[in-house]
Amino acid sequence: MKMNVNILKLSALCLALPLTANATQNDLVEQGKYLAKLGDCTACHTIDEGQANGGGLPFTTPFGIVYSTNISSNKEFGIGHYSLEDFTDAMRGGVAPKGNLYPAMPYTSYHLLTDQDIEALYRYFMSTKPVKQENRDNDLMFPTNIRMGLKAWNLVNHDSKVFEADADKSEKWNRGSYIVNGLGHCGECHTPRDAMFAMDQSRHFEGELIGGALASNITPKELNRQGWTKQDLDDVLRKGYSRKGTVFAGMYPVVFHSFSHLTNDDMSAVTSYLLDNDGEITAKSDTFNGHDKSDPGYDLYKGYCAGCHGIDGEGKPNVSPALIANATIDKAVPINTLSVMLNGVEEQRYSYTHGFYAMPSYRDTLSVKQLTELTNYIRKVWTKQPSDLTESQVQEWVDQIEDSIADAAH
Amino acid sequence: MSIISLSINNKAIGPIETSDDVMMIEFLHEHLNMTGTKFGCGVGVCHACTVIIDNQDGTSESVRTCINGVSRFNGKKIRTVEGHAKANEFGEIIKLSPVQETFIENFSFQCGWCTSGFVNETTVLVERLKLMPIRVSEIETVIEKALGDHVCRCTGYVKYYKAVKELILSTEGLTRP
Ligand code: FES
Ligand code: FES
Repeated sequence: MKMNVNILKLSALCLALPLTANATQNDLVEQGKYLAKLGDCTACHTIDEGQANGGGLPFTTPFGIVYSTNISSNKEFGIGHYSLEDFTDAMRGGVAPKGNLYPAMPYTSYHLLTDQDIEALYRYFMSTKPVKQENRDNDLMFPTNIRMGLKAWNLVNHDSKVFEADADKSEKWNRGSYIVNGLGHCGECHTPRDAMFAMDQSRHFEGELIGGALASNITPKELNRQGWTKQDLDDVLRKGYSRKGTVFAGMYPVVFHSFSHLTNDDMSAVTSYLLDNDGEITAKSDTFNGHDKSDPGYDLYKGYCAGCHGIDGEGKPNVSPALIANATIDKAVPINTLSVMLNGVEEQRYSYTHGFYAMPSYRDTLSVKQLTELTNYIRKVWTKQPSDLTESQVQEWVDQIEDSIADAAH
Repeated sequence: MSIISLSINNKAIGPIETSDDVMMIEFLHEHLNMTGTKFGCGVGVCHACTVIIDNQDGTSESVRTCINGVSRFNGKKIRTVEGHAKANEFGEIIKLSPVQETFIENFSFQCGWCTSGFVNETTVLVERLKLMPIRVSEIETVIEKALGDHVCRCTGYVKYYKAVKELILSTEGLTRP
């Protein structure tokens, strides 16, 4: 009997030991999986769902095409042979065992990550399904095709220091900043680039034109002016639509793959940081200045927009977002208003029961004169923005939009 | 095979040779690339595919195109939903028809599948009332009778009927005391 108890104890001990070790290991892998979603890694490193993290997605830069690489645990083509140190170097400094990474990989944001988070990510990637898929050669022009140049670029433009909390701000705000600026790498699109194509931190989050649409100004100043509440931001980041309008262009996959997976606490931290306010914010009353039937924009609005958006811009559930309170039209620079008119918006499905219809492109339908009248009219009715844009201004924005689409396609 | 000539939205079409079993909706879509007329049930029930025939005596009538072969329209003057809004010389829409306007102002439709049928039927109704005004007290029955066969799968009926009522009441000469 006594011996039996001992055996039991012993076997319990044997079981307990590896179990505890596994548990922490599993915890790290789980945490890493969550962090990988936050960082949206799979979105850029996957072309084929079945081959998640196998790489091969093309990224068009002003210098040519960069292909994302295989970051699965495959030892030959992926990162399976990386040590934790190699992985850390790649995440913080953009230096992989084979050489420097192009800053299309946002190590320029990821360097902020703590050691623990990097390790969790590492453990997670080592646990992913190995994908046997060779990396593609980049298609870059001289001299950017010489990876050595990146060393110099990093020297000038990259600072690999870890996140430092701002002691004047709350813990929540700091967590938000860590997510948004680190793994979230929001600045990569929303911060204007300087002459060296590095993020111009003096204009942090002030917005940048990418692929025909403006990654909006998301500074607290602008978001608060537009009247975003924490709930609005939570909605738009988690679901893709909100009282303030819907996401479109490059932001849709970001919501889908990344932000929709945030925990409530993390989302609350993100919105506190973005609005620079930990408290609740009450919604401001919406702007609707009424119609002016003598304005030439009125007939255009009625003929081309009101059928879906409603004569008073009220929108229709499951069809079209409202124009009332819509942040896309309440912007000093109307690039996104013009962008959706020119390019239309693809159908958006968020669930079986919720979605928005596609918006047609009016590129071949509306002249610059009409675009100008319509944009002015929309601003006049639903925003407090000036409605005196001229045709030559609009032409210039249209050209910028077309150029940025061409850039993204060549 | 028949040789077809007709006028659509004041434009002469044809002569075109078509097979006799081609339905008008197919002729519009496939031969003329006029896709504003919508195809729904295909058996004459939903009235989405309705277009207008202008008779020589100045009256107009609504006709379903999914159950009527193209030859029925030979030599006729027809109007489709594409013909209602006024366009300038560049083909840009400059003014919607009063029927279109009232539907938009009342935000009557949702997906728009039934809309061309409703626009055409209401246009015919308004034109008929111009010739034969009705009493205000009859207005609801008249609308019901004219539009009652039109199916809206988004269930926009209330707003459609409200829009038509508003239009009839605000257009001079459609009602009598
Ligand atoms: S499609 Fe013609 S009546 Fe339904
Ligand atoms: S609006 Fe959708 S069917 Fe009537």
